[in-house]
Amino acid sequence: MTQLFGNNRMWRSHELKKSYDVVIIGAGVHGLATAYYLGKEHGVRRVALLDKGYLGSGSSGRNTAIIRSNYRTPEGIPFYDASVKLYEDLSRELGWNVLFSQCGHLTLAHTDSGVAGLRVRAENNQLLGVDSRLIYPEEIRRLVPSMYLGAGQRYPILAALYHPPGGIIRHDAVVWGYARACDRMGIEIHPFTEVTAIRVENGAARSVVTTRGEIAAGAVLNATAGWASTISAMAGVPLQIVSHPLQACVTEPLKPFLDKVIVSATLHVYVNQTDKGELVIGAEIDPYQSYSTKGTLPTLEQMATYTLELFPQLHGVRVLRQWAGVCDMTPDFAPIIGAAEDVSNFYMDVGWGTYGFKAGPAAGKYTAEMIATGKTPKIIEPFSPSRFRTARLVGEKAAAAVSH
Amino acid sequence: MSRFFFDGEPIEAQPGDTVASALYRAGRRIFTRSFKYHRPRGLLCLSGHCPNCMMNVDGVPNVRACVTPAREGMRVRHQNAWPSLEQDWLSAAQHFDSLMPVGWYYKTLTHPSAWHVAEPWIRKVAGLGDPPPPDAPPREYEHAFLQAEVAVVGGGPSGIAAAFEAASGGAQVILIDDQPEPGGHLRYTRPGEAPASIAQLRGQPNVELLARAYCFGLYEGGLLGVLQADPHPGAHERLVHLRAKRVVVATGAYEVPLLFENNDLPGILLSGGARRLLFLHRIVPGRRCVIVGIGARAEDLASDLRGAGIEIVSLISPDEVLGAVGSTRVEGLRFRGGSVTCDLIVVCGPLLPDAGLLSQAGARLAWSAAHGAFLPADLPPHVTAVGRVTGSGLEPAVPLPPGEVRAGKRHFVCLCSDVTSQDLVDGISEGFEHIETLKRYTTATMGPCQGRMCQLPAIGICARETGRTMGETGTTTARPPSPSVTLGALAGPRHHPVRRTPMHYQHEALGAVWLDMGAWKRPRYYRTAESSEERRCVQGEYQAVRERAGMIDVSTLGKLEVRGRDAGRLLDKVYTNRFSDLRPGRVRYCVICDDAGIMLDDGTISSIADDHYFLTTTTGNLEFVEQWLEWWLAGTGWDVHITNLTGGLAAVNLAGPQARDVLAGLTGLDVSAKAFPYMACRQALVADIPAILLRIGFVGETGWEIHVPAESGEDLWKALLEAGKAFGIRAFGVEAQRLLRLEKQHVIVGVDTDALTSPYEADMAWVVKLEKNDFIGKAALSRAAGDPREQLVGFVMQEDGVPDDGSAVVMDGRPAGRVTSSRFSPREGRAIGLAWVPAGLAGEGAEIRVRVQGRPLLARVTRRPFYDPEGARLRM
Repeated sequence: MTQLFGNNRMWRSHELKKSYDVVIIGAGVHGLATAYYLGKEHGVRRVALLDKGYLGSGSSGRNTAIIRSNYRTPEGIPFYDASVKLYEDLSRELGWNVLFSQCGHLTLAHTDSGVAGLRVRAENNQLLGVDSRLIYPEEIRRLVPSMYLGAGQRYPILAALYHPPGGIIRHDAVVWGYARACDRMGIEIHPFTEVTAIRVENGAARSVVTTRGEIAAGAVLNATAGWASTISAMAGVPLQIVSHPLQACVTEPLKPFLDKVIVSATLHVYVNQTDKGELVIGAEIDPYQSYSTKGTLPTLEQMATYTLELFPQLHGVRVLRQWAGVCDMTPDFAPIIGAAEDVSNFYMDVGWGTYGFKAGPAAGKYTAEMIATGKTPKIIEPFSPSRFRTARLVGEKAAAAVSH
Repeated sequence: MSRFFFDGEPIEAQPGDTVASALYRAGRRIFTRSFKYHRPRGLLCLSGHCPNCMMNVDGVPNVRACVTPAREGMRVRHQNAWPSLEQDWLSAAQHFDSLMPVGWYYKTLTHPSAWHVAEPWIRKVAGLGDPPPPDAPPREYEHAFLQAEVAVVGGGPSGIAAAFEAASGGAQVILIDDQPEPGGHLRYTRPGEAPASIAQLRGQPNVELLARAYCFGLYEGGLLGVLQADPHPGAHERLVHLRAKRVVVATGAYEVPLLFENNDLPGILLSGGARRLLFLHRIVPGRRCVIVGIGARAEDLASDLRGAGIEIVSLISPDEVLGAVGSTRVEGLRFRGGSVTCDLIVVCGPLLPDAGLLSQAGARLAWSAAHGAFLPADLPPHVTAVGRVTGSGLEPAVPLPPGEVRAGKRHFVCLCSDVTSQDLVDGISEGFEHIETLKRYTTATMGPCQGRMCQLPAIGICARETGRTMGETGTTTARPPSPSVTLGALAGPRHHPVRRTPMHYQHEALGAVWLDMGAWKRPRYYRTAESSEERRCVQGEYQAVRERAGMIDVSTLGKLEVRGRDAGRLLDKVYTNRFSDLRPGRVRYCVICDDAGIMLDDGTISSIADDHYFLTTTTGNLEFVEQWLEWWLAGTGWDVHITNLTGGLAAVNLAGPQARDVLAGLTGLDVSAKAFPYMACRQALVADIPAILLRIGFVGETGWEIHVPAESGEDLWKALLEAGKAFGIRAFGVEAQRLLRLEKQHVIVGVDTDALTSPYEADMAWVVKLEKNDFIGKAALSRAAGDPREQLVGFVMQEDGVPDDGSAVVMDGRPAGRVTSSRFSPREGRAIGLAWVPAGLAGEGAEIRVRVQGRPLLARVTRRPFYDPEGARLRM
């Protein structure tokens, strides 16, 4: 209660030191979680987090905050499951409520092939211990009475993949909670500190040049999203990434009428209602590459069209804001986590496409372990940067595209 | 006079009334309850900006009553209060405000079990209006597309002048105004003095006025998103996509509240709100009035209110005000050195340029201390701003930020979410010093008013608390849509195209049960007189094909004509196998891979002549293949022309041991195996219809794919049915086709393959010609050739049970692969299928476990087609 009434500072600001054991570029959920687990589990606390904007200004503040682990591949499922489990306990661990609502997550299928695709996920989820199953219209209607399953739908809902532990979280609260915990361990957070160059000497990353000066680093982690390929390029590490905007919008608050996350790949849309009552609606990635974070009218219209297919009664509900985040897409819709192949001291936790936020805690935990111990934990081995050279891709596309 | 109902009670409305003005006239003072504390709120701005009058109108929640015209028979209900606006039980929340400081929900309930219990209750009390049930009647919305040389946004004096000037120069102008009549603020600041320019403007033939319309977004390429209410009796709202070469923004200014204790009480009006009540609706808003304001604006207001018979008790400078007195409505005002009783407080709030559109379009917002406002600067080239939105003619009513913004728990900055000045001060002291993080932490500026009412005071407090200037503190990012827009208007009319093949109604007559395939409708199977059960119908169709003859509508296949001297060269480059050596009259199976060697599509390519090919693609991939060919053609300078014939051709696949007999009766062409062998193509008349015939066999029987002009599709279909009658022909649907091809282990790209499948893994090495000079994917395929990790194989179930498509292949209880397609094979008497398995399990006869209803059942791998493995029947 004292915490409630006292105005405790969440974090402090610092002068930039001359050197750190670890310099993390990007103070979003991935960078913060890595720093947190470095400090907490490995005692590495001479860590600086750099961000070019304010705290959580990148994709951590732009995603639609859906958490789930009902992925498709045997590589992806345990990883995202580990992340969901860390999220489940995060509020208690940080002493800061991240408002994780495990309200349940439904992915809809409107075609035969859609049903088969969901069955692949349900089967693999069940075999790997993730609560996930196919349900049919009668049960869907019972779980989501506000959704239209009546006659006249162009693409009738045939089945859904129901994932009870899935849900939504307050994304900013996750960022702030980790940042507060990092600050208390003496880890420094430096917002508005843009990285302009990375110095590589004798094949090793040695220092990071920022708009506030140059800092030496025992290890450098690229934990950015949207600009991951430009940061890695500073260290001379090319990445198989293309960047696309992803748009979303939010409506005015309504009384609670939807307490599940609804996703439809056929309709290119996903919808949930926040605790405050707003409807958050997301689209698939824009078909073109861009770094723009501004919304476009055709995409907004598409989001509205498909939302009304599922919830026609919402026609009079007003959209308040539309925005975009930049997604770093890899060819196989799986991330790139690991040490750079040709530059030592340079690590990456990037390529998170449209599914980075839900992976934050697990990515942070295992990236921290990798940096602290010098060994790659088994669970993140499949996401190694070398897989593009050896043609060992992961194949998460069917579960990751659209289904945030 | 008209009449509507509020919470069931009839309310009289006069011409020109809005829902809010009629209710106010009828004596209503509380219009809403606030979001968090359920404090009573009354009319404030009367311009649709603030959240204080949101009601449920005809089932639609969160409707701004102050800008909604009153109509006969309307059903208006209050929202977010129980049991009534006057007696709202949740208003008790304000007595517990000390338990709910800013961010309280982040700092409490941190144990997961506590949060799980509390969250549903928090959800219940949050939110504003109730959405209607899913079967509520829909409304009509429409989309329109307009162009203008000049678009003027805002029909006030400056907008009118700009429109007139542009029109006089000969430009074609569209003027967008959100009011029923042009005139802007003059309509309620100088009533009865309509400027002469309005009449002049109406005389200009090249000016179109969109009334009751607002621009909510200035997008790239001169695109304006415009929303017009009630465009005609058949539509509720119309979204206009307006493309303009030049945009003049004349959105004017809006008024925002001042910060003092209880500044949200009903009975406190902004000066613009009071004037609108008085001059637009002829309502005298109170009897004893205190005006908070200084200078000419306050004096003018006092004189106008006196003119309406209102007693002006006092005129008080904003600096002097301490707080309003009252519990559910204003009873007085406290100020330095005294207090006064009154039933109305009119606040001359700061007038701020409505520059959101300009900011969206890329303009910078620069702080002007002289104006006490952020003014637009560095406008994009095609946009100009005129009038009060530029700051001209605006004098700050009070110095901004207010000389002393008091931190108080009853000083409401954000009316939408009940954020007080105390909340902001607390948030800043906790470390949320940047305006963007402060916004996200306190939720100020994130409510239905989109920050109009609260952004400036929030910036002011942030600047003061952090010792920065207003300019350094800056604004949050302006985003479309602003003002907000309904989902219905954005979606427009509910048009979801359905593609029907030319034979659609023939199928319907035959009892087709439909299947959605992209936008297409295809027969899944046909009901018969004997049965409508899918399994029996499919089996009947299957038997007809295997034993006699069957026909299936394949018009949905993509069909492309590729012509030109270099056509073969392009096909060699894009497809994995070779086509430049394909002789006229021959057909070849084809596969497209991307540069990573992943299969993207398959089909057939027929050579009609040396420079003329006929391509088919899968139903879903036509657009992709066409674009892919065009993409790789671009810049080559090659002589190739690609024409999409899909909509122009209908196609039927005729197959079965007696297909030849059926066809022979309809054409003069020699269809003998010798004259028209397997994988040949011919052009001929079939049932007197000019046709392209391909002798190919997806289902494993002697067969022809017959392409004819779409307009003759029905005739061909009927002729084949008629000619086939004697042989017992049956129309078959997609389901029978899936089973027939499965017995042949023919792969369906996109069903049996996925986003990582190479032809090697799909057991189709024979379609890749690595010895070809170069083609898309060659490098990757050269590397991949010997080393697939997984393999697509056929399997036969060894136990009873038919796996569903997508079932897992398991090994030691872990996923090891998946079934892509499986059906009960009448021929084998068991389920057969195709599945992905690890390379080590891909050998002939290997035992695998397939999950059926959760149980791992035994199956055996077979790489040989189940039916006619040598393909003898195809060649007969």
